[in-house]
Amino acid sequence: MNEVLGIIIAAILCWLNFVIIDTYFGLPEQPGVRGARIIGQDVEKRGGDIAGGFFQGNILCSPDASAGTLLASIGFMLLGIPGGILAAFFVFIGNRLCADPGYAGTVGSLTITFIIFLTSFIGLTPEMYIVGMIIAILTIQGISQVKASIVLGKIAKKFNRHARE
Amino acid sequence: MFNLMDGAIFFTSYGSYGLSNLNISSFDVLIAYIVTIIVSMIVAFILRIPLLPSKPYRYSFDVSVIYPTPIIAIGILSIFLVLNYTFMYNGLILAVIIGVLSALFVKYLFDFVFPKPLSEDNGEDINE
Repeated sequence: MNEVLGIIIAAILCWLNFVIIDTYFGLPEQPGVRGARIIGQDVEKRGGDIAGGFFQGNILCSPDASAGTLLASIGFMLLGIPGGILAAFFVFIGNRLCADPGYAGTVGSLTITFIIFLTSFIGLTPEMYIVGMIIAILTIQGISQVKASIVLGKIAKKFNRHARE
Repeated sequence: MFNLMDGAIFFTSYGSYGLSNLNISSFDVLIAYIVTIIVSMIVAFILRIPLLPSKPYRYSFDVSVIYPTPIIAIGILSIFLVLNYTFMYNGLILAVIIGVLSALFVKYLFDFVFPKPLSEDNGEDINE
């Protein structure tokens, strides 16, 4: 498959994977660790959405589905399917060390391992997923934190996981 | 179907990495994963670890049969597989041993190795 096309498809799949899993496991609802609350309140002060701010703080401060997606892609590139499962195990230990109470990181690693396994039949390689995941993180944290937090807040409302409800 | 699995496991890791030198087939790898998941869950169930995590599903420091027992089991098994150590019977013995040990770990050692964090009220909060 064409490399650029593959990276675009992988970026979309990664974005959907980690946003859906993180939202389902309640990242926008409450700050799992201390730093996440400070980031969330700061984003709200700058005109953003508090739920989106908590989401951004959580994926910044502790390994959630975003870090799980990236690490599982790297593990899959190096070691195949056992590498992706190994990444899930290490993300689990990382969650314990960060005192993060969530399930999102481990579940996200396992689902992206399964997605890479399925899409490898149509020619998507793990490298494309690594690049795609970095692009996906850039859209959440890098370009405009305030606008991204509003989008994440709307998604959180759809899943009934908004902080202010 | 298992030819496709061969393809995914061996081609996507590009031959020169990881599992290319594994001396059991990918079907055996799949069986070993299933065996270790089932054994760890059964032993955890016998040891009276709660079956499901406490609701709502936000606090994973409470151990249960479905999380994190199988995650620890397949993680440890993956380490042995990528190091190409499969012991006897195509890794089945290894899978059973890891399943039993990970259930014992979750029951007796988990709280000692990963102590629960302080609750929100007890810790210091620099924001207040």
